[in-house]
Amino acid sequence: MNIRSLRLAFCSIAIAGVMTALALTGDAQTQKLFTPARLSDGKTPDFRGIWQVRDTAYVNIEGHPAEKGIAAARSIIVDTPDGKIPYKPQSLAQRQENYKNRATADPSLKCYQAGVPRATYLPTPLQILQSPGNFAIVYQDNHAFRVFHPDTRPHFDSADWWMGDTRYRWEGDTLVADVVALTDQLWLDQAGNFHSTEIHIVERYRMTGADTIEYEARIEDPVVYSKPWTLRTVLYRIKVPAARIIEDECLEDANGVRHHISPDDPKNLLKSDYSRWKKPAQK
Amino acid sequence: MKAVSTSHCFVLATALCVLLSAGGSRPLAAQATQAPSNAPSAPLPRLPGGRPDFQGLWLKSAGGFQGLFIGSLDGTNLAAGGARGGGRGGRGGPPPTRYEYTPEAEAERMDRLRRGYEDPEARCHLPGVPRALDQPGGLYPIQIIQDEKYVSLLHEAMHDVRIIPTDNSRHPKNYWAWDGDSRGRWEGDTFVVDVSNFNGRTWLDMAGNFVDENEHVVERFTLTDADTILYEATITDPTVFVKPVEMRFTLKRVPAEQQILEYSCLEGERSLQHYTEEDGGKKLRTK
Repeated sequence: MNIRSLRLAFCSIAIAGVMTALALTGDAQTQKLFTPARLSDGKTPDFRGIWQVRDTAYVNIEGHPAEKGIAAARSIIVDTPDGKIPYKPQSLAQRQENYKNRATADPSLKCYQAGVPRATYLPTPLQILQSPGNFAIVYQDNHAFRVFHPDTRPHFDSADWWMGDTRYRWEGDTLVADVVALTDQLWLDQAGNFHSTEIHIVERYRMTGADTIEYEARIEDPVVYSKPWTLRTVLYRIKVPAARIIEDECLEDANGVRHHISPDDPKNLLKSDYSRWKKPAQK
Repeated sequence: MKAVSTSHCFVLATALCVLLSAGGSRPLAAQATQAPSNAPSAPLPRLPGGRPDFQGLWLKSAGGFQGLFIGSLDGTNLAAGGARGGGRGGRGGPPPTRYEYTPEAEAERMDRLRRGYEDPEARCHLPGVPRALDQPGGLYPIQIIQDEKYVSLLHEAMHDVRIIPTDNSRHPKNYWAWDGDSRGRWEGDTFVVDVSNFNGRTWLDMAGNFVDENEHVVERFTLTDADTILYEATITDPTVFVKPVEMRFTLKRVPAEQQILEYSCLEGERSLQHYTEEDGGKKLRTK
């Protein structure tokens, strides 16, 4: 191999490298520029469908080791150096306390609606309902729903809600939602991460492909956190034919026992409160 | 029945919320006159595909009674200056629904009437169909979002949701739910919904009327003008009723400046246990 062929080889490698770099940039560009389908008005991006995350951030958004039946996961917090929530010292102590008591203290065990952003990354699907001028998300968990109102009218924030008050606008093909008025009874995951009623969330929903929505929530709460922070995850389209979200009832009975009522078990449904009605022969 | 008054506490709280959303300072009378006028000549709103467009925010109306029912057990409507009405059978309201039970079911119904505190809705369970729509008049709005594939009903009451496909598809097997399973189809301009797969635990109202898991409902939604939906439901249940139960009332459009709010029916209706036996409660029962 002489100098010349070496130089040629070097050049080829360099060119290949540059082309690869270009190709990567190209990929990133294509992803950014994905153009969603439109609703019947020919204008509004079409986010309709049934979606679900594939990670296990619902266990702990800061990341967690593997547990029985649950795979390990990395933090979904993207803008702090260690992937941790920037708690104020006092609040961090509260979180540790919550974590210790999580087996009984998690409000979701009491069947409350999951709140924002927690409802987004639950291990159950959500359905986006949409038409020109309307946008709503129905979460399978506890049949919670959020009607997104245009931000042309101010927040209705004189009360605290389980699912907050949401005002949205379109920035290009990204839906940007401003969420306030959440109760401080909520947790962000099963690990005791929490917020106060001062929480303010800016959500961004952006389609990165025909079957993926990138979900981002920038969270600020000057009472609990030392600075704002952001989590990011991906919602995947459920492509099972004729998929539907199912009815999910999670309620406490008169004796204080909590039930997740499953619609695929008629015995479970019929044996408790109202068994005094002796039905004639089943059909 | 004290259980009824407890339910009315929910009712009152939510009604106040609706008021707040409309701008708390506006007098009630003014609000009642804000309802959009019914112009019979105006064409029905339609989706691009030509189907009637049911979208918007709707309230069950009790006949000519427009506005809110903030009431007490005897039917007094505080929101209408003490006039009666707004509830089932209120003045100018729809005709009362008639239930004709089999003898065994009639006995069960009378027993449930005495055990009103066991009404599953008082424990925040989903109301089922048609009770999801047959809430007391003028109280809980329903947001309808619609496209060519679904007519979706978002009920403020009990944050109940029904996402109804319009393709007349089949009911699933091995599925039993409070709201059953709804499959819709278009018959001309009427949206007809077939509802089956009920879990059999539903009460139809606070007065002990009930169905079991053999319940089957056919609902008909018809826009009679731009601001009115005629709702009709036929309930059959061969093990409970000797003949189908017919129900009909109207939903009126809510002015655009109002919005649906969150309804949180929380677990543990403790107060039901604290009523004494003679009040229909369980106070004498020990754990």
